[in-house]
Amino acid sequence: MRSFQTTVLERKTGIHGAFATEPFEAGWAAEAIYFVEAHELAGGPLHARAQISPDGIRWIDEGSACDLAGPGQAFVRVAHFGGWLRLALDAPDDSAGTALVTVHLALKS
Amino acid sequence: MNYTIAFPPGLSRFQPLPTILCYDDFDRGTNGWLDLKPNYRFEGFEPRKGPLDLTRWGPTMLSSATFAFPGTHGSMDGTYSLKLATRPVANPYEDIPAPGSLGHAIKRMAMHQPPGLLRFEMWYTYTPEQDRIGLGEKDIRAFGFLFDLQDGQYRYMPGVRYLNSVDGELVQRWQYCNADGVTDAEWEYGMEGWCKRGIDPQWFGRRYADGHTDGFKDVPDGAQHLCYNESDDKINWMYLRLTVDLEKRAYVEMQSGNRVFDLRGLGPTLVPGYANIEGLLNPMLWVETDTDRRVFLYVDSIVISMGPGEKA
Repeated sequence: MRSFQTTVLERKTGIHGAFATEPFEAGWAAEAIYFVEAHELAGGPLHARAQISPDGIRWIDEGSACDLAGPGQAFVRVAHFGGWLRLALDAPDDSAGTALVTVHLALKS
Repeated sequence: MNYTIAFPPGLSRFQPLPTILCYDDFDRGTNGWLDLKPNYRFEGFEPRKGPLDLTRWGPTMLSSATFAFPGTHGSMDGTYSLKLATRPVANPYEDIPAPGSLGHAIKRMAMHQPPGLLRFEMWYTYTPEQDRIGLGEKDIRAFGFLFDLQDGQYRYMPGVRYLNSVDGELVQRWQYCNADGVTDAEWEYGMEGWCKRGIDPQWFGRRYADGHTDGFKDVPDGAQHLCYNESDDKINWMYLRLTVDLEKRAYVEMQSGNRVFDLRGLGPTLVPGYANIEGLLNPMLWVETDTDRRVFLYVDSIVISMGPGEKA
């Protein structure tokens, strides 16, 4: 039987500009999905991209990404990612911009 | 019924009581240990509002203990350990804990036999994120373990923590949970309501410059240097054991490394039971950072066991 784990990395977190989820060790998993929900989004789109790392400190764009133009849900699917994962988020950063975000990470062996 | 049990060899480094409730080796998954979150049961699935933001503690994960220079450390027995992590944020020691300055792991069970002795054991280690040069030992403020218990009368949380550092100064002594003499309002930073003194001591209770808090008192002769090693990417697995007496609602003994601390005569703080949780048996671990740096508690394996009480 496969192993499975969902972790809620952010819950209704207000973000402005560049943001990244906490580094997550996922070496046991073969596949991952970041679910991104924007409860509120104004002043521009929300861009999310998966990042990988050899050590949890230095990060590289993996290439998988998704965009939200307004409130709603999206996902980023990743496989063959090594041991570390995080999700970089680019949110509106002007004074009128707001993004209220929940991020789930679902891992499966 | 006569039966023979062949114990796995990994159990020989533990000292369990006769009934083993769980033997959690994190090479086999999370075994029910997960992040600690508040009760999302109010309008809009919001938690109760309080003086602390309980929604942003750092995430718990299965770790291979992989570092930039040595690569994968693995665990004591296999590849994976349970890793508790903080976010890179901390308030000064005497302030209310910053949101994200702690990470937790909790497992939820219920009582299944009459009160006797209850024992927690683990093999563990700790380190900060190796995001800067030097030795980061002083950046780990504390880590600890407690049982969240409720019987037919009382809720109480016996536990211990290792206070490693206070605002960058190494302290390195063991403390036990006890909030006697504190009011419920003092306990929750001036907010009197649902939470009672002695409950959730890892974040409630005022903190004082000498290192004690409203919820933690020093273990007698409890100063101890643990094996930290010479670099933040070299981890050494260590042993911790805590035994409590559910019949007397009292501490019995703790062991850290090769030192045994007699805790008889000491007790946790008893408060009237909360609604809906009679029989609660929740072991809980936490780690806390002392500065703007993630710190991690790695747990290779845990054994929780029960047995008859000590003879008077």
